[in-house]
Amino acid sequence: MGNSIFGIGISGMNAAQAGLVTTGHNISNASTPGFTRQEVVQVSNIPQFSGIGFLGQGVAVSTVRRIYSDALSNQLTLAQTQGSQLDAYYAQIKQLDTLLGDPSAGLAPALQDFFSGVADVAAHPESVPSRQALLSSANALSARFQDLDQQISEMSAGIGTQITSSIASINRYAEQIAGLNQSILAAESVTALQPANDLRDQRDALVAALNREVRASVVKESNGAYDVFVGNGQPVVVGSTAFALVPTRSLEDPQRVEVGYRNGASSALLAPASLQGGALGGLLSFRSASLDAVQNALGRVAMGVAQTFNDQHLLGQDLDGALGKAFFTIAGPAVLPSSANAGSAAVTAVLQNVNALTTSDYRLQYNGAAGGNENFTLTRISDGFTFPTVTFPTAGGYPYNLNVDGITLTLSAGAALNDSWLIEPTRLGAGSLGVALTDPGAIAAASPIRAGAALANSGGATISAGSVSSVADLPLPATVTLTFDAAAGQFAVSGAVPAAGPFAYTAGSTISFNGISFAISGTPADGDVFTLERNTNGVADNRNALALGALQVANTLGQNALIAGSQPTTSFQGAYSQLVSQIGNTTRQMEVTASAQANVIAQTKQAQQSVSGVNLDEEAANLLRYQQAYQASGKMMQIASTLFQTVLDLGR
Amino acid sequence: MRISTSAIYDAGIAAMQEQTEKLMRVQQQIASGRRILTPADDPVAAARVLEVSQSQALNQQYGTNSATAGDSLALEESVLGSISGLLQDVRDVVVGAGNPTLNKSDRAILASALRGRYQELLGLANSTDGGGRYLFSGYQGGMRPFSESAPGVVAYAGDQGQRLIQVSPSRQIAVSDAGADVFQRIPNGNGSFATQAAATNGGAGVIDAGTIVDPAKWNAAANNKDFTIKFSVSGGVTTYDIVDNVAGTSLLTGLAPGAAPYARAYASGSDIDLSQAGPPAFDYGARVSISGAPADGDGFAIKASTNQDVFKTIDDLVQLLQNASGGAALTNGLASVQRNLDNAMENVLTVRTSTGARLKELDSVKNAGDDRALQYRQTVSSLQDLDYAKAASELAQQQMNLEAAQKSFVKVAGLSLFNYL
Repeated sequence: MGNSIFGIGISGMNAAQAGLVTTGHNISNASTPGFTRQEVVQVSNIPQFSGIGFLGQGVAVSTVRRIYSDALSNQLTLAQTQGSQLDAYYAQIKQLDTLLGDPSAGLAPALQDFFSGVADVAAHPESVPSRQALLSSANALSARFQDLDQQISEMSAGIGTQITSSIASINRYAEQIAGLNQSILAAESVTALQPANDLRDQRDALVAALNREVRASVVKESNGAYDVFVGNGQPVVVGSTAFALVPTRSLEDPQRVEVGYRNGASSALLAPASLQGGALGGLLSFRSASLDAVQNALGRVAMGVAQTFNDQHLLGQDLDGALGKAFFTIAGPAVLPSSANAGSAAVTAVLQNVNALTTSDYRLQYNGAAGGNENFTLTRISDGFTFPTVTFPTAGGYPYNLNVDGITLTLSAGAALNDSWLIEPTRLGAGSLGVALTDPGAIAAASPIRAGAALANSGGATISAGSVSSVADLPLPATVTLTFDAAAGQFAVSGAVPAAGPFAYTAGSTISFNGISFAISGTPADGDVFTLERNTNGVADNRNALALGALQVANTLGQNALIAGSQPTTSFQGAYSQLVSQIGNTTRQMEVTASAQANVIAQTKQAQQSVSGVNLDEEAANLLRYQQAYQASGKMMQIASTLFQTVLDLGR
Repeated sequence: MRISTSAIYDAGIAAMQEQTEKLMRVQQQIASGRRILTPADDPVAAARVLEVSQSQALNQQYGTNSATAGDSLALEESVLGSISGLLQDVRDVVVGAGNPTLNKSDRAILASALRGRYQELLGLANSTDGGGRYLFSGYQGGMRPFSESAPGVVAYAGDQGQRLIQVSPSRQIAVSDAGADVFQRIPNGNGSFATQAAATNGGAGVIDAGTIVDPAKWNAAANNKDFTIKFSVSGGVTTYDIVDNVAGTSLLTGLAPGAAPYARAYASGSDIDLSQAGPPAFDYGARVSISGAPADGDGFAIKASTNQDVFKTIDDLVQLLQNASGGAALTNGLASVQRNLDNAMENVLTVRTSTGARLKELDSVKNAGDDRALQYRQTVSSLQDLDYAKAASELAQQQMNLEAAQKSFVKVAGLSLFNYL
């Protein structure tokens, strides 16, 4: 009997000891990330039958288990992967938001200063200091564009670095998970199916950490190993083997880091859209949805300023009496052929109508020939709009010119099936804006023609100052004379090259020829003479400067090329404001969503912790409980010992 | 529900961080004075601020432009004022020179004084602004507009360009006037035709400026606008003929000019109409009047007006005063010069009035600009500026919230069963 009392006491002490150890483990790991609390599972021993019935045989610890809820942990992981995607996106776009919205460092002040310079030249066209000031403010504008573009490019490069390091983290986690898969399998096979609680905690923590980098799904194998998949089901962990993701160059742009999946010796590109969630997902979606769009939008404003300003400047005359030259230099649209292209076809793009430029990139793909026709598809990436299939005859169809949203694509022969090209109409705009002029005198503030009425005219008619829409026939080779023939009611023109007129006279109506327009109003007398001549010495003329200044508020961008007769809808400043507002809105949206997601995470975590987390008060109570159980078992052994002594004492 | 100990800490820290962040934000708003720190705070207002600030900058530019335009116009106005004064002085000389008590040498003294005024006028016509740009040379600011090649022969080297300056979103105002319009485009005579006594006249006939009775008839294509009124005195009877110099015929007979006596009898001071009921009938819608006694063979020309520059007019006067020996020739000459001077003065006055009107317009443009500036300032302010009273109370509230979060966290975190073991 004493034997069994001892036995029961010892079993109780052992169980209490196991309880104390487990409680101590819980207390010491109370703040270990990923730790789930453990508890000992006690069962009573199989009773011994005696004549008086079953006598209990004490207690045994069947296992130590962790209090873990699959469902809650999954919820938390999912919430966290979304949260870190939003956080990564927000952290990036916040920089853009600050960059563009800064009232002193954004584009707006530079743009305004530039046009103030133009207005100053209009007020003092002959003043070299005013002209120098305009050149300086033009250089400042170009520097501001380049600076903004540079910062965006740096962000883009930084994202490349972050993608690379995120991929390194993912690979490290995958290896660790694979290693733990093996350790757990080994540990659990030795201990006869007892769970390796702490190893499993570590593995779950790694899965959660992996999910903070990129959304990864877990499939549990029957032997307890985790298989982990990313993207469209690419395995990164299968059993004890890890597969690596690799940073890969984009097919079109070698500067751009994309995510590849190593498959044997080769690696395949993973579509950015398939990598959702986590920091990596956030970076990828930020880059394609916001960063590219901002660079394009800035580029569009830069191209708008450069092109419209140049166009008007070419119609003017500089201080030396020469026709205006291009004021700004700027790069045209970029075409990036995919490095996977098998064919030899070249695609080039030129700016055709700056008013109709969009902020999107385009993808052109060759779909092969059918029925003697070549087929291409063109997609606008920003909104996924697919243009009607481009079809033209194989024979004699090349080179084919395709006008789309303000650019002209020229397709040459030699494409192989599925060859593709990425077209970036405005990407290079902001970074490449430069000032072509260095000589203040070369600013074309004047108009190359001037109009006059002969002093001897006896009629009361007057001629307007005249304007120029094309300089193809300028400067005027000779003075153009318009002589009124009252009988015929028309003006005879002499000296125009190429020859023009005569023009029937309607008072006040515009007469145009050879790129020159003017209006004569009033009543001319027979033989009255009006002249158009070269604006020689016209240094105080500011007509072209006024026209240049008017560009500031003119609607020059945002024409819809797909709708006939559509007009430009916004000015330079309007287009920039639109960009700022768009980024501001996205930032705001990200801020709100990220903060809502943080609440979801907090609540899910609380729910998960309410099951698996360590509560020190509870552990303190458990300490007392097991301490007392231990003491009670000890007491029992003392009693057993006393009882045994009683038996021994019988013989005294 | 079980609460894990780390959750208590996590929640406490998160709450305090959130409160600190809000406090920081209000602090930043107060420090910068702006409600919108980045566009994300209010994307719509931020974009609007950008647009309004462009309007503000433009408005400011228009203000600067108006001031520049005002300076230019004020300068031109003052030069035109000097020119008006000068012409007025010359006109006074014309009136004085008609005084019959003056002898030829007196007139020569007047003439040499006028020479000086003539040079002064040339100087005024070649005025420059502060930057050395000629005021009256059109687009050719560096080109001296008026130069004299011979007495009374002044050539204009400028053009007819007018410089405009943008002074409001919808208004470009002219800030210069071409010299040709100020000094040269001045019709002589009465504006439609000029009358002149022939240099060889020996009589005392004085012709007036004449008037247009019917402009349509005067301007009719059939009118050759070049006539001579020829006088004949025979037997104490003065008669005259009107000869169309282009057709070479007498208007009164429709035939080649015949011998005296002519068809119409002359009465001093009565109207001579360029019309006749017929036959032959003609009507050119004009009328002149000749007074005094013309001598036999005297003639008076009627010719369509041409533009005569003010320099020529003054030179005519100088020549007249130097050479005329009095009598009807002087009277006719002075009358003609006076008409041309009046025309020149009226022309300068017209330009000057237009300059004044533009200056006045600039004033109202400037006032409108000031109003707009105020309105833009208010708009920007209402969009982005901070309501300090509200922010200050928010700051106090956030501070209290943070303190409450801190105190309550310390209380909760201090609770532990281990304290009692």
